[in-house]
Amino acid sequence: MAAGLRHNHGPSAPLESRPIAASFRMSAIEIRGVTKQFGAVTAVNDLTLDVPEGAIYGFIGPNGSGKTTTIRMIMNIILPDSGEIRVLGRHSAVSARDEVGYLPEERGLYKKMTVRRLLRYYGRLKGRSLAQVDPIINRWLDRLQLTDWADKRIYQLSKGMAQKIQFLGAIISEPKLLILDEPFSGLDPVNTSSLRDVVLELRRQGTTIVFSTHDMSTAERLCDRIFMIFKGHKVLDGTLDDIQARYGHDTIRLRLGGSASVLDGLSEIESINDHGNYQDVRLAGDPQAFLQKLVACTEVRHFEITKPSLHDIFVRVAGT
Amino acid sequence: MTRILTVAESEFLTLVRSKTFIFGIFMMPALISIFFVFMEYAQRHIDREDRRFVVIDGTGGLYDVLAREAEHFNHESGAGDDRTGPHFLPTRFEVNGQSLDDVKVDLSNEMREEKLFAVLEIPASVFEPGGEASIKYYSQNTSYQRLPDWIEETLDAEITRRRFRTAGIDQARVTTLTKPAKFETFGLVERSRDGTIVAAPETDELKRFGVPVFLLTLMFLAVMTSAQHLLNAIIEEKMSKINEVLLGSVTPFQLLMGKLLGVGAVALLLALVYFTGGLYMVFEMGRFDLINIALVAWFLLFLVCAALTYGSIFLALGSACSDLRDAQSLLQPAMILVVLAYIGSFVVMRAPDSTLAVAMSFIPTMTPFTMMLRMSITPTPPVWQVMLSLVLAVATTVAIVWAASRIFRIGILMQGKAPNLPELLRWIRA
Repeated sequence: MAAGLRHNHGPSAPLESRPIAASFRMSAIEIRGVTKQFGAVTAVNDLTLDVPEGAIYGFIGPNGSGKTTTIRMIMNIILPDSGEIRVLGRHSAVSARDEVGYLPEERGLYKKMTVRRLLRYYGRLKGRSLAQVDPIINRWLDRLQLTDWADKRIYQLSKGMAQKIQFLGAIISEPKLLILDEPFSGLDPVNTSSLRDVVLELRRQGTTIVFSTHDMSTAERLCDRIFMIFKGHKVLDGTLDDIQARYGHDTIRLRLGGSASVLDGLSEIESINDHGNYQDVRLAGDPQAFLQKLVACTEVRHFEITKPSLHDIFVRVAGT
Repeated sequence: MTRILTVAESEFLTLVRSKTFIFGIFMMPALISIFFVFMEYAQRHIDREDRRFVVIDGTGGLYDVLAREAEHFNHESGAGDDRTGPHFLPTRFEVNGQSLDDVKVDLSNEMREEKLFAVLEIPASVFEPGGEASIKYYSQNTSYQRLPDWIEETLDAEITRRRFRTAGIDQARVTTLTKPAKFETFGLVERSRDGTIVAAPETDELKRFGVPVFLLTLMFLAVMTSAQHLLNAIIEEKMSKINEVLLGSVTPFQLLMGKLLGVGAVALLLALVYFTGGLYMVFEMGRFDLINIALVAWFLLFLVCAALTYGSIFLALGSACSDLRDAQSLLQPAMILVVLAYIGSFVVMRAPDSTLAVAMSFIPTMTPFTMMLRMSITPTPPVWQVMLSLVLAVATTVAIVWAASRIFRIGILMQGKAPNLPELLRWIRA
């Protein structure tokens, strides 16, 4: 195992946050030394984190690592045992609640309500009047091609449509901070793409967005910054470039003329991720020496030294 | 406060627009109407059988009376399609030296074969005043009471008449002399400001029992309807995983209060609908003296207390459960509290000024029922008791709402096994 890895994901030695990019001035969320225990289990341990305003911040981590607990504490749904959380400069999400949109991981809808009544209800719970919320509802329904369904009851919608409505429920108050817990889970590619566009549009409008996900490719594409929590500890926090740089250029993308089985038994290889047509291998030694060794035993059609993908980093950290 | 009212409005509209509520509101009067219509129909159409029975008459004289009266009865019941009741068809049975036991066995077999409906055995000594001899009625269908009741009434009148005649006493005179003295109950006589005497109001069963029972039952219905709705709503929200979405916008306390106010309003609406029905009946009967505005105001006040108290209990327990089945078992003690308050109030009605009644008025979960009931009957409770019970009811409501919000806060995010009582207490303290 690489020395950097051993250094980085030890529970007692979390990575320091990278300096906030110049375009992000203030923190939308400030978490300071927050710990939360459930019985004997420490769900979140001494977490410190800053989510800068205007950023798209990805929360990643395996199941049960503490993502949802962190998000619930930010939303003040559960209280930390110790530490402090400030949201939009206020002491808790309670006082900033009207400016925060929230889509929890476990989300449902009132099945007998009509789409419009439901969205109005969610908007009014955020302190918006009907006069304020109705044009927003109409605009978003139109944008997501749901206008014809506005007066239909929720149980009449398809699953994909219902998921879009859930998403609209979180953004209908035009929040400054949007927290999405696994927003794309269960969505088909078309709806995923559609909602991803909405997220990007909101970001362009200045909304700070936090979302947790298992989908590393989505996190790579959307997020300005990534935070990874593992067994309650912060193990990654920074921009994608920072994180990839931290994990070094030790990943080689290979396309071989013959069978990939020649890679078996090569002592320099620490791990292989076989994608069929190509292989990503992580090296412990010198890439040049490895290339010479490889050329000697098979035809090498492609040899590229790359940064490790977020997926690889995730697997490295979570698999330890 | 705006959030609370928004939740309350949503709860209110969701419930009053639901088919269950609309059906429920009309169900009670509809059921009562159906009951009376059915009873009327049943009386006219269901029991139109010929009831053949054998009379073993030891006196030798009572059979003729039965036969005559049966003829009269059958005539009253009508014939053919217009027949509205059974026909009683007695037959005299002569024992003629046979063993009475053998006769009864034979006749019982006939009853088993449904050739015969009943057998009546009248002992010879039945006329003896104070005698121990009893008339015996045998039938396979012992739950059918119309025939034995008619026989008993007919024979009783005849036997009494003959006993009077044998004793040489004028029965009509005895009836007149033993007629009960007329007994009427009144309230208190008052002197008006101009010095004239205001006659005491006459009390009647309607005022003494009808109004209090109506109010009591209405409160029970409203509380049960609203509390049950709260339970269903919270379980549905929990099963549909809506709660966490809502908690992104409101605190658990705001959510709880909103729901409670919503169903409190529903309880008031329910009461107003039934009051309107009650007013219609009062106008129909011309009994304007039954209308007591102050009592209605007190009723509504105590109704709100009861709806909030029991609503918060149901809500807290419901929020702690993951499905309706879990909730039903956890709610049994709470249901017992409501039923106890309702049933216990009938005890209060018997002696409203008793120590027990006063004590029950101050038991928080019973206060709305018992105090409201005591205010609807005389003697009305002293003002200090009413005020104290009101303070207690409000304080209890606030305390229960607070405790419920503590349970609710944890319960709505919990999944899996329902908590037990110690766990609930721990949630309150947490």
